[in-house]
Amino acid sequence: LAMAFREVNARRHVGLQQLSALALAGRMLLGPMKSYKFVVDESTNESVLTCSAVRLIESLDLSSAAGQLLNETIQAQNKEFKTGMSTLLFLVGAWSNAVLECLQQNVPVSVIVSVMSEGLDSCCEKVQCLQLSIHDVNKELCSSSVRTNIFENKTSQVPSKSLLNPQVCFQKGISASEEVALPRNAHSHPEDSCNFSNSCLVSTLTGFGSIASLVKPVDDKSKSVISGSGVITSSYNKKKLSHSRYFSTLAKSNFPSHLGNFKGYLSGQSAYPCDCGGFGHLAIGLSHGNQTSVKLLQNIVAYQQQRAECSGSSQFNITEIVTCCLLGLPESYSCVCPGFITLVLPEQATVIKYLQGKPLCILLMDGDLTEQYRHLGFNRPRSVRTILEPPSAHEGRSGDLWLSSVLDVLIRFEVNLILVKGNVCEKLMERCIANNILVIGSVTLNVLHAFGEVSGAQPVTYLTQLNARYLGSGAQVELWRACDGRAMELGELVPVSIKVQGIPLLTAMLTTAVASKMQLVEDQFWTFVYRLHHALNEGKVFLGGGAVELLCLSHIQMLAEQSLKPASTNAEKEFHNPSGLAASSTEYKSVVLQALASGWNQYLSVVLCNSAKATSGFEAHTLIKRHLKKAADCGSPSAYILKEFRRGGMIQSSSDPFADPGESLNVYDNVTAKMEAWRRALDLVLLVLQTDAEIITGPKRNQLLNSHVSGEFMFL
Amino acid sequence: MSRVEAKKPSLCITEPLTKDVVHQSLSVLSGALKSCYGPAGRLKQLHNGMGGCVCTTSQSSAVLRCLPVSHPILKVLTASVQNHISRFSDCGLFTAILCCSLIENFKSINFLSCTVIKISKHLLNLCTDYLRSEACGCRVSVDFSNLETLFCLVRSILTSKPACMLSKTEVDHLTTLIVKAFLLTVPCHVETNAVLGKCIIVPVKGRRVVDSTVFPGLLLETPENQLAKPLSVKRTSSNVIKIALFCVSMSGDLFNPEEGSITVHHGISLEMSELDQLLNVGKQLVNDEIGLVVCQKVIHPSLKQYLKENHVVAVDRAGLSVMEPLSQMTGSKPIASIYSFSPSCYGSLKDVCAESFASKHFVHLIPNDTVVCSLMLCNRNETTWDELKRAYETAEHVLQLTLKEPLALLGGGCTETHLASYIRHKSYNLSTSSFKAIDCSQTQYQLVADAFCRSLESVACSLNHDDGDIFTDMVYGHCWLVPSGFSSVSSWSDLVLKCGCGINNNTQNLNWRVLQSQFSSPVLQSCPKEPSVKATDFLTLDCFAAKCSGLQVAVETANLILDLSCIIEDQN
Repeated sequence: LAMAFREVNARRHVGLQQLSALALAGRMLLGPMKSYKFVVDESTNESVLTCSAVRLIESLDLSSAAGQLLNETIQAQNKEFKTGMSTLLFLVGAWSNAVLECLQQNVPVSVIVSVMSEGLDSCCEKVQCLQLSIHDVNKELCSSSVRTNIFENKTSQVPSKSLLNPQVCFQKGISASEEVALPRNAHSHPEDSCNFSNSCLVSTLTGFGSIASLVKPVDDKSKSVISGSGVITSSYNKKKLSHSRYFSTLAKSNFPSHLGNFKGYLSGQSAYPCDCGGFGHLAIGLSHGNQTSVKLLQNIVAYQQQRAECSGSSQFNITEIVTCCLLGLPESYSCVCPGFITLVLPEQATVIKYLQGKPLCILLMDGDLTEQYRHLGFNRPRSVRTILEPPSAHEGRSGDLWLSSVLDVLIRFEVNLILVKGNVCEKLMERCIANNILVIGSVTLNVLHAFGEVSGAQPVTYLTQLNARYLGSGAQVELWRACDGRAMELGELVPVSIKVQGIPLLTAMLTTAVASKMQLVEDQFWTFVYRLHHALNEGKVFLGGGAVELLCLSHIQMLAEQSLKPASTNAEKEFHNPSGLAASSTEYKSVVLQALASGWNQYLSVVLCNSAKATSGFEAHTLIKRHLKKAADCGSPSAYILKEFRRGGMIQSSSDPFADPGESLNVYDNVTAKMEAWRRALDLVLLVLQTDAEIITGPKRNQLLNSHVSGEFMFL
Repeated sequence: MSRVEAKKPSLCITEPLTKDVVHQSLSVLSGALKSCYGPAGRLKQLHNGMGGCVCTTSQSSAVLRCLPVSHPILKVLTASVQNHISRFSDCGLFTAILCCSLIENFKSINFLSCTVIKISKHLLNLCTDYLRSEACGCRVSVDFSNLETLFCLVRSILTSKPACMLSKTEVDHLTTLIVKAFLLTVPCHVETNAVLGKCIIVPVKGRRVVDSTVFPGLLLETPENQLAKPLSVKRTSSNVIKIALFCVSMSGDLFNPEEGSITVHHGISLEMSELDQLLNVGKQLVNDEIGLVVCQKVIHPSLKQYLKENHVVAVDRAGLSVMEPLSQMTGSKPIASIYSFSPSCYGSLKDVCAESFASKHFVHLIPNDTVVCSLMLCNRNETTWDELKRAYETAEHVLQLTLKEPLALLGGGCTETHLASYIRHKSYNLSTSSFKAIDCSQTQYQLVADAFCRSLESVACSLNHDDGDIFTDMVYGHCWLVPSGFSSVSSWSDLVLKCGCGINNNTQNLNWRVLQSQFSSPVLQSCPKEPSVKATDFLTLDCFAAKCSGLQVAVETANLILDLSCIIEDQN
């Protein structure tokens, strides 16, 4: 065996060309108005609908080394942040092209590498001033009265059938498990509060129509009353209270004299003195136009904040969210329900009906529920033979023996409900159905934990381990119904809702009638959830909508101008070039900085074009230029951008490319995720740029030796 | 029946070095390695061409490992370089490039190989004697009371691996961490035979480099669900945590006999009896007041549950790599049987706590007196993390070597050019008796010495990758890099502020000349001087031991290859 060795042409760098070609496919994924893409496999005629960089990359051919690295980079960003992958993909393409142009102009590779990475560092430092603390974001949104109208616009735009329907499923869902008491005074004027114009979230609520008036007064209680059990039997019509977080805080802000009654709320609110619905608004800013998810997430936030106030747990807990994808219902049926909702076989529906309304004994298993399953790391003995005793000693086959022993255990301990992390033996499933035991497989670990915590159950690996101590109690199951009460008969699977009183889990029911969109809807939901999660963890967000990129552009413009002025003293030289090279890179510096800037420039112009705010690339560039000029004239570009972008609605449509008059809401971005996406994109481009040869090892080498491309390779 | 084939005669190739194919392969290899050298080195993508994982690197250890060469001469070369790398970790490219250059330059002067070999051995001795002498002008001594030199050593290693994709602040952060981790492994109280402790790397891929941290003690990764929250560990009456360390699998499977089989009667379950034995072990551990059980392999879930109920923390799948440091740090002996073990095997710990980073969960074991630490190493993706890990291992090894021999050589090409000017000077001032001793004429000696020096200088020239120029000064014999497109400018000396290693600046007239391997250079009147100021801040430094060995290996390997007169290949 020997190696095949291929030099990469320095001028027309193949790797960079590959990167730019791959990234081109992701152009339409930028910005709030994404276009879907069909990826068609010509050999099998299968096609996939994608709208995210991760899924797109998954379905592309990435056999080239550059493609592999691109995939690795995108996956790493996805694993860490779940957002920013489209930005990353786009910038990889834009910067690859820009670097290729630098190479055309004979800029040395080392200069490109050092100037670009220093330029990016400098930009990342510069844009710090566009960070807003979450606290400020909330305050600003609350104090702005202009925004009320905007919110009204926004909510009325949501094409949701459920909004017009008084029995919105979320409210139903929440009320099923927790009825939160509000002081009577606080809500004796629910209509007033809805019209109260100083709080934006109120107007969001008005979009929900009559729900606001459904709030049921409860006598002065300062804590939430949780009355979970027994709710299932009552029909949804009877449930009157639909608690909304916005509502309660609203009540509080409107009626300060009753603050004393709100001990629970107060403690929870201390971190957010501006208590206008917590970070519900922040969510809108981070949604980037995904309205269905905004509704879901606001509900989740409201529910979790309310819990946090009661229990003191963290305010937004991502591990307590699960999704359940329901195909066949229109998207307007998406909603959030407390508890764990999953899909089961239709045969199990009878079991559920039997168990409905009873407090159930629950068993958690953290392995498979099959006879052959052994824990990880267990090596099956290979050379053991079993001698059978005289024929009378054995009855039935060993498989049946196991089945009946398992059933014996389950029946002895009166287990009604089993959540299994892995697979479940089909035969056992049948026997369990016959014995009215509900078995659910492929349950994720965080769900098992949540059930363990509230029911007192401890996960076991084998049933032989089972002991009454490990079982939990108080679980409830029911068939999940859509908000209009229709039971689901959506083909093969039936949604079931499982709860234990006080369980922190929330299930986002994601519905769509279009099968190929299911994955996409789920991905978008999670992206959004993670964006909010990061924002809260970091405690800060970037002013979005292109503000950050615009500031980078203006900053680089300034750096490029500076680099053209010769440094006067030796000391100054040394300061600018600690590497020991004085005048070296100055003549190239501005070329390379322009290349770096072109990445963001293209980014902005594509976003503008994709969202139809500019009709052509040319128009977009003109708009960007105009903004840059204004920023430069203003003296302090960051102040200009802060001012212009912060007053979202104040910028009038014609002059401002980044704000649409219809929805001049503030848009926010994650800080670290964005800067990491930039850094990863540039790192990848520079990594490929610095590569001058591929070394191919293994059996492929012999194929290359005999193939027509063998001339490209050197063999040692 | 298989066909019997006649044996093929062996193939004998005489004078292999004169063959064109050898020459070509050698220059391809040399070119590839030269292009990797230094902070501006180009990277290589190593992959199988079929969509397998891609390793992007410029480090000799990775490149040479993945580069299976077929020609015996190249095999000799790569094998001896790899051997050097396995002993010193650093200076692999230096060794390989120098070796290739020596072969090429020696071959071009067309002498009998035995003469060349004799002279080059003499030159090598001159070099090593000089490097080891107090008068050596290209080395600095490492002062362990001042961390700056250590920082320089580590920083030089990190910056010479461009595929790690580190920014300046990241390099600084890691440099501090690596030195800190190293110092944690040095025992505080040295007895007769001091043994360095160990630093365990905890991989966290996907995070920013600046999130990397060092922890004294050991971090063991565990699945989240195994730990009770908050983690409470049973302590003995003397307020220490007793630990039992198992290196045998406790998963409850049977030992697997290689051959033969076990026959059991129906109704007897070997698994159950094995589990019973495990539970007996559990009882014994609980009785012995054990607070923490660590198993290298897997613990049976039933035993884990039993231990958990009895407030014993159990961590399994610890892996082989932590066993030695774990036993070193706790004073426990790894238990290799679940049938009998004595309480004398147990060790003790000061504290145990739970930590979590990114999405990973760890048990942090804190010993009383530590020489063990954990370095949580982060980088943004798989490729760059792997490269960073290799760089870390090199840095760790270099620090250990430096502790043994507290010297460092000036980097950035300065040692090579300085040595070359020293040898040039020496070879002109050698007494005639020396020539007699090696049985050669002065001309012969000087020609070989010139080839030797050009080879050294060509290593320094390999630092340059963008068509720039490399200069050396006639005072200190240091190496100066000028970027491309400027050498024609008359005042190019204005362009360079510092020499390669950063110790000299161009304030005085140093009488530069272009360093190009095809021209031989003028000879200095006197020995190259030692730099007047030996400020050790922000210097580029190389590991002394590694570079000395590299020089030796390169010269000896080149000699060996020159000496090859025929290759006999078995063709069957």
